[in-house]
Amino acid sequence: MTAVWRRAALLAPSLGWIAAFLVLPLCLMAYVSTLARGPMGGVDWNHHTADAYVQFLFERDLMDRLVVNTDYLRIFGRSFALAGGTTVLTLLIGFPTAIWMAFQPPSRRLLLVFIITVPFWTNILVRNYAWILLLRTGGLIDTLLRASGLSNEPFSILYTPLATGIGLTYSFLPYMVLPIYVSLEKIDRRLVEAAFDLGASRWAAFRRVILPLAMPGVMGGAILVFVPGLGAFISPELLGGAKSMMIGSLIQQQFGQSRNWPFGAALAFVLFALVLLALGAHQLRYRREAR
Amino acid sequence: MKSLWRFPFTRPAAIFTLVFLYVPIIVLVVLSFGAEDSIARWSGFSLRWYAEVWDNDTMLRTIRNSLTVAVFAMLFGTAAATMAALALARGTFRGKTIAALLLGLPLVVPEIVAGISVLLFFVLVGIRLGITSIILAHIVFVIPYAYLPIRARLDGMDPALVEAAADLYAPRWTAFYRIILPLIWPGIAAGATLAFIGSLGDVVVSYFVSGPGATTLPVYVFSMVRMGVTPVVNAVSTLLLAASIAVFSLSYLVSRSKG
Amino acid sequence: MNDAVPAIEGRDLVREFAGGVRALDGVSLSIRPNEFFTLLGPSGCGKTTLLRAIAGLEVPDSGSISLYGQPLDGLPPWKRPVNTVFQSYAIFPHLTVAQNVAFGLEMQRRPRAEIAARVAEMLALVKLEGLDGRKSSQLSGGQQQRVALARALATSPRVLLLDEPLSALDLKLRTEMQLELKRLQARVGITFIFVTHDQHEALTMSDRIAVMNAGQIQQIGTPDEIYDRPASRFVADFIGATNLLEATGTGEGAYRLADGSQIAAQGPAGSVWLAIRPERLRIAPEGSLHGVVEHAVYEGTDTIYHVVVSETVRLRVRAPNSDGASARFATGAAVGVVIPADAVRVLQS
Ligand SMILES: Nc1ncnc2c1ncn2[C@@H]1O[C@H](COP(=O)(O)OP(=O)(O)OP(=O)(O)O)[C@@H](O)[C@H]1O
Ligand SMILES: [Mg+2]
Repeated sequence: MTAVWRRAALLAPSLGWIAAFLVLPLCLMAYVSTLARGPMGGVDWNHHTADAYVQFLFERDLMDRLVVNTDYLRIFGRSFALAGGTTVLTLLIGFPTAIWMAFQPPSRRLLLVFIITVPFWTNILVRNYAWILLLRTGGLIDTLLRASGLSNEPFSILYTPLATGIGLTYSFLPYMVLPIYVSLEKIDRRLVEAAFDLGASRWAAFRRVILPLAMPGVMGGAILVFVPGLGAFISPELLGGAKSMMIGSLIQQQFGQSRNWPFGAALAFVLFALVLLALGAHQLRYRREAR
Repeated sequence: MKSLWRFPFTRPAAIFTLVFLYVPIIVLVVLSFGAEDSIARWSGFSLRWYAEVWDNDTMLRTIRNSLTVAVFAMLFGTAAATMAALALARGTFRGKTIAALLLGLPLVVPEIVAGISVLLFFVLVGIRLGITSIILAHIVFVIPYAYLPIRARLDGMDPALVEAAADLYAPRWTAFYRIILPLIWPGIAAGATLAFIGSLGDVVVSYFVSGPGATTLPVYVFSMVRMGVTPVVNAVSTLLLAASIAVFSLSYLVSRSKG
Repeated sequence: MNDAVPAIEGRDLVREFAGGVRALDGVSLSIRPNEFFTLLGPSGCGKTTLLRAIAGLEVPDSGSISLYGQPLDGLPPWKRPVNTVFQSYAIFPHLTVAQNVAFGLEMQRRPRAEIAARVAEMLALVKLEGLDGRKSSQLSGGQQQRVALARALATSPRVLLLDEPLSALDLKLRTEMQLELKRLQARVGITFIFVTHDQHEALTMSDRIAVMNAGQIQQIGTPDEIYDRPASRFVADFIGATNLLEATGTGEGAYRLADGSQIAAQGPAGSVWLAIRPERLRIAPEGSLHGVVEHAVYEGTDTIYHVVVSETVRLRVRAPNSDGASARFATGAAVGVVIPADAVRVLQS
């Protein structure tokens, strides 16, 4: 009995805090998404409606009929495309990087992990801001292109989906490299040697031994990039233009200019549900493989 | 003979990664020390933008706010996380899985969702937005950061050590501060560092829960950047960068020297 | 000290772990003062659990333990005058050797001067003088083991519990430490409860041995009792090499084996197991059983003959090589096996 109480007392501050300042707010948000919009913004506590969810797909035309509106769907689609593209890109760059790191001498490996981890822990705002300096007209890339005579046109991809993609890739690359590296580093070197010994080429050893064993890291990295990528706010706000809006900015807008809290809450709730779905699918897959 | 462990294409990829990760940061730092406000016209080294930071009262105030928030979030977050790690490190009990899931929840909720739901909560419950509300929200998000290294440290500890202390007449509390605490100290230091850096670097959650007149440095810089690029931002960004790297490197060295 | 009061007395101890494993399944035992008492048994039989129950690190579901007549039940480990040498040694890695040895004394709030003197005395006892400033990472396995021993002995516990303290050492060091542990026990005059699954270690070191299996004590006795008069088929099989033959008692001082042949022995009638040590058998033409040498294993001092008597009866015979090469038998040789009646141990199945 005392052991039970001691454990409860130890867990109370952290779990209590998370329950009070995260779980409760999330429930509140779900609740607000079912309310009607208040006349002056805010919400009407007495009026329940599915309007917020209907608004996602339909709008009312002049004759007050519901017609399909794909604006929001397109923003979701773009978010998925950017998050997915970022995942693929970070995987293409990150996987070979992780392999190279994992097969370096141990002393150098520690240093490399440190080097990869530093950007991971430096301010995400600063890191995205740095890309403005590179990508804008009159920025570093523009200046270099013109100075070298390769181009006379002003170069600018700032405020395009491409810039957002670069920002996301830059922000999340360490999230991909580190878990893959960790799973590769755990691989018993002798397994790979055994593959070589049994006549496997480098490619065969990679495909038949290294890749399957690194798969948990790859899946973990993909989740770590895709999930925050979907809800990214800073990269699209700083680097993307009005035409490349992502879910995060759309949600923020409902609490800013649009003053449509129920719709904002509904959007946030849908985003959260999508993230949970992705995590759930990952868990399920992981469990099945573990068995 | 070529080393067995050298896989084709991996070296260029790794070099690309390192260049890609560091070039933007280096450009930022270099520009912050430039005299002019454009890259095209480099005319020498200058501390002029740093002087402007120093003269900007609003910015200094937000720096102070950020440090206050980070220190409080670190202290409360690390304390709560240490207790949770002690409770969850050993043994199985009903609700353990739920507790672990709940502790990981702040990592899973998209920042934007967390930000607006906490904002809704504060507004509807009637908590005034300001430094306090930022601290309240930050503690939630630094708990898992602090928890993971402490838990890892506890998991790496031979359970027989605590039993040996009990066997040698050390009551529970004595065993805790004579044996457990010294042994998990590097984990607590690492956890506190991550909590501190995490709080210092947060933009999204702070952006939503900060009130007028009381915001953190990253939120202030965020709004400046959205207005347009000024070299002052380069300087203050470099300062933020230096702070994160310094704290992170320090904890890295501490954790390595203690083994 | 009163010899009538056992140092440790366990009554009906039961400990069932989640998942239904009964690590202790009704264990009762009584350990005498100043005895070198060994718990022996296969992996997972509950030795560690029993030791931890005595130390207070594990709480039995039922049953009771007393120390020199004082019940220990409900006392936390830090209130029990019993110390443990852990299998992993559990040397505190952030403390020096001297601080490790001083730990228990400090917890008992002994005067500083006394602690210093006692630490020096203990380090001398385990021959670790001069290493007091080292950390555990700077010690060899054998040295760590000595620190663990010194630390556990420093507070003069009434009983010392040792959980496979030698299993991490190499053979040479192990043999050395076996002798040293015995000597140490004689010097400090403390009851030792020693856990091992090495039967040779158990036989050479112990005053008495408890053989455990599946959470139960199969037999308690001196080494020669355990070896010569095993109480059950399990003990006979577990300790040393044994010929185990299924037989039926005819009631007239003879037993019939599965193939019909007869062996003379004293014991109850009915279906039994006969346990016969290979070294008690002798190969000679006048033997009561006859068979063929299937193969012979030369072991230096002895040769082990595997003799096939019939399809269902096979015997291992250990014959000393003291008579030289001429006295040995080749594979395929037809031989007789002599079975002295007092060599046969009859075990009810
Ligand atoms: N904490 C525990 N939870 C669940 N089962 C346990 C626990 N500790 C021990 N057991 C089980 O209880 C049984 C007895 O374990 P114990 O450690 O006492 O064996 P042992 O005789 O010391 O074995 P070994 O020689 O391998 O050390 C084993 O089946 C083990 O799996
Ligand atoms: Mg054991």
